[in-house]
Amino acid sequence: MSDGALRIALPSKGMEDDTLRFLRACGLTLDRTNPRQYQARMRGLPSGPAEVVFQRAADIFDEVEHGTVDLGITGYDIVAEHRAEEDNVLMVHGELGYQRCALVLAVPEGWLDVASASDLAEVAADLRARGRELRVATKYSNLTRQFLYDRGITYFTLVEVSGAIEAAPALDTADAICDLTSSGVTLRENRLKTIAGGTVVESQACLIGNRRTLAASPQRLTATRELLELIEAYLRARKHISLTANIRGENAEAVARLVIGAGDAAGLLGPTVARVYPKDPAREREDGGEWYAVTVVVTEPVLLGAVEALRRAGASSISGTPVHYVFEHRSWTFEALKRQVGGGGVDDQSAYLRTKTMAWSSS
Amino acid sequence: MSQVTDSSLQPASFTTPIQRVRGTNDFLPAHEARLRKLEGALRERFARYGYEGIQTPILEPLDLFLRKSGDEIVARMYAFSHWNRRLCLRPELTASVMRAYVGELQGRTLPVRLSYSGPTFRYERPSRGRYRQFTQVGLELIGVGGAAADAEILHLACGGLDALGVKSYRLVVGHLGVVLQMLRQLGMSEHAQGLILDLMEPLTRGRLAADDAVRRVVELLGGGAAAEGPDGALVGGGEQEMWGLADLAPDQAAAVVADVLRHTRLPLAGGSRQPREIIERLLARAHRPDPTAQVRTAVEFVLRLHEAAGGAEKMSLLHELLEEQGLSTEPLHEMQAALDLLRAYGVAEADGGGREVAWEVDLSLARGLRYYTGLVFEVYVDTEDGPLQVCGGGRYDDLIRALGARESIAACGFSFGLERLDLIGASSDDQPARLPRVLVVAVEEADHPDAIEVAGQVRAGLAERCVVEQSLRFGGLKAALRHADRSETDVVLLVGDRERREGTVALREMRSRAEQQVTRGDLTDVLRKLLT
Repeated sequence: MSDGALRIALPSKGMEDDTLRFLRACGLTLDRTNPRQYQARMRGLPSGPAEVVFQRAADIFDEVEHGTVDLGITGYDIVAEHRAEEDNVLMVHGELGYQRCALVLAVPEGWLDVASASDLAEVAADLRARGRELRVATKYSNLTRQFLYDRGITYFTLVEVSGAIEAAPALDTADAICDLTSSGVTLRENRLKTIAGGTVVESQACLIGNRRTLAASPQRLTATRELLELIEAYLRARKHISLTANIRGENAEAVARLVIGAGDAAGLLGPTVARVYPKDPAREREDGGEWYAVTVVVTEPVLLGAVEALRRAGASSISGTPVHYVFEHRSWTFEALKRQVGGGGVDDQSAYLRTKTMAWSSS
Repeated sequence: MSQVTDSSLQPASFTTPIQRVRGTNDFLPAHEARLRKLEGALRERFARYGYEGIQTPILEPLDLFLRKSGDEIVARMYAFSHWNRRLCLRPELTASVMRAYVGELQGRTLPVRLSYSGPTFRYERPSRGRYRQFTQVGLELIGVGGAAADAEILHLACGGLDALGVKSYRLVVGHLGVVLQMLRQLGMSEHAQGLILDLMEPLTRGRLAADDAVRRVVELLGGGAAAEGPDGALVGGGEQEMWGLADLAPDQAAAVVADVLRHTRLPLAGGSRQPREIIERLLARAHRPDPTAQVRTAVEFVLRLHEAAGGAEKMSLLHELLEEQGLSTEPLHEMQAALDLLRAYGVAEADGGGREVAWEVDLSLARGLRYYTGLVFEVYVDTEDGPLQVCGGGRYDDLIRALGARESIAACGFSFGLERLDLIGASSDDQPARLPRVLVVAVEEADHPDAIEVAGQVRAGLAERCVVEQSLRFGGLKAALRHADRSETDVVLLVGDRERREGTVALREMRSRAEQQVTRGDLTDVLRKLLT
């Protein structure tokens, strides 16, 4: 393996399949002699292959913090729980758009009188008055403690459970739990319910990096930029559809005006209009006007509006294809990363994590 | 190219310098001496009024501060679990001193006067004058209530600043009795009262808008919109109305609920709570009125008090305000009495002694702690970056009982922030002049025992008159003299082979470079003459 290759840690087990699918969609493939191996090479970056190690998602934060890898993909919940004020970890991309879940507080279904965090505060005070204490089982002690404090709940005990957290109330090792959920099925199966205002943090997969090792190696920084370009272009493209329609008009300009005038169909910048040469030129002359092919790239939310607008402009046979990549003139996340890596940007980084975490702590 | 970066890519290792923890300070020699003098001057002043020293541990059980300190402090504590015991670094000293009082001093004749100083810890965003480890120097007066005791501690706070040469400051005095009276009149629970006390500081400092304050308290109290549960919780406000539970007698309602639950086969338990507890609370919740109006009234009252803050001329306005709300004006009289007594102590506005003490009465002052019950105060000093609070305190008549005392005992106290006093340039008057330095040098290692004797003789003969340093490196005369020059030494005493034989010492004055042989018997006298 070459000395300056980018080293990236990917999550094994739970997050592995989604992560590989995500990378494949970004145009990155892994070489692994057999799927049980913990090392691999990632191909698809112009500057050369990157070294990949598979780790438990929970350990990836530490690997990145220690600099044994330059980058890592893990859950935002893990970053939020493990971050420290002066660590070496940079948030390179905070929203990779998969592995979405939330860290939530849940109580037994039988607690009919508890529907909100404020009810829980009162129950905690009640229990305390009776010489007992609210026991909350969690693997996320920092986030849970802060969350409870912020809601005026100071009388509680955090119970560290290594196995199935959602079973703790049934086993009477805890009264409530604070754990990840995506569908809520596991909670329901264990006769637990979430409460209003009980979401501690919303999470999804994110890309983190080590400030020191990235700052020290221009080569790895370049590879990081390439990786980010692909990720960004893919994420941006996921929301875009390319529409092609045939529209009749006097000339290209007139057709373009028609399409732009139709509002939603104007596309990102404007339509591309090209002449269609009919198989039967005689027929075209009979109908009046020439045929033009119009191509626009639109975002998902306005897709139907755009189709409607094209129809109004006289379009026939509209076809839509997903766009695989949308590149802008520069990578915005890389620009942000460069600012953090250069200029001794400790504050930049903490500012980033602050804004990310403020969002839930102040809500 | 990749070779260049290799060493910097190594993970942090044993040789990487260790950074100081953010928000803490290393106080280096000159600075440390200054801080120690400030602390000494304050403690000495307190001692002259009969305040005896007490020292309590930095490490305390977490519970001590959960009892009465308030969420604002609790959320900022360094708390941790060590071998299954929940501990914390103390965020302030009053609770610790009161714990010690309850545990070990309860039998003493009252009043008990105690003074203390020591590091405290709070996890806050560090800024100028705000550190995560800071030193409190303060006192507690236990066993006396009323204006006489309030005035004594107010006087000592001002006197402490006097002792440090701080002549211009602003004293803000409040009385929590007013707000507490209002909250009780509104029928607020103790829990709700605590929530209001917690937000008084951010509210009046403009860090929290009134609407947000109301929303937050209502949410924490479980009123209004917060009662709607997700997940089809059985107890959203609307459903209770539908069931008509609120209109039934409590035992009937309990029976209805129990019946419904039996039919739905919902397991009515979980964790350590009994079905009975759950049904009782469910019903109590149904009968509870929406607290929004109450909370809004309280928040608006706090803001009105804050607007009415000002100098002595505002007193009549405050009287009117309280009377208008149907509140007793007793707290105002108590406060006035303390301020009048303060005049008798000789603290007055621009009193001609070069002091400029601005007074201000602000009944919305709450100090971010929950245990105050009466007079509270803060002292501010103006700096280039705005006013800096250097002192704060008040009366906390319920704290001692909350910490397990046999009865309620009136108590009050205050503390200075030592680092902040230093920041505003406070200095103790009785700064001793720099002591002359004497360096005793053994020329050879073999001369060292004799050199130790010489140093001991000088320390015994000239105690308090000079600093005697012993040279411990036997690198020769030249190196020793170079060190003497750099360390601003006044006199070097040399002990070599010849001196040992003759029972003398070679005395060298560093400034004039004059050297003389002095017999051991004359040494103390010669030095005394030289150094005075």
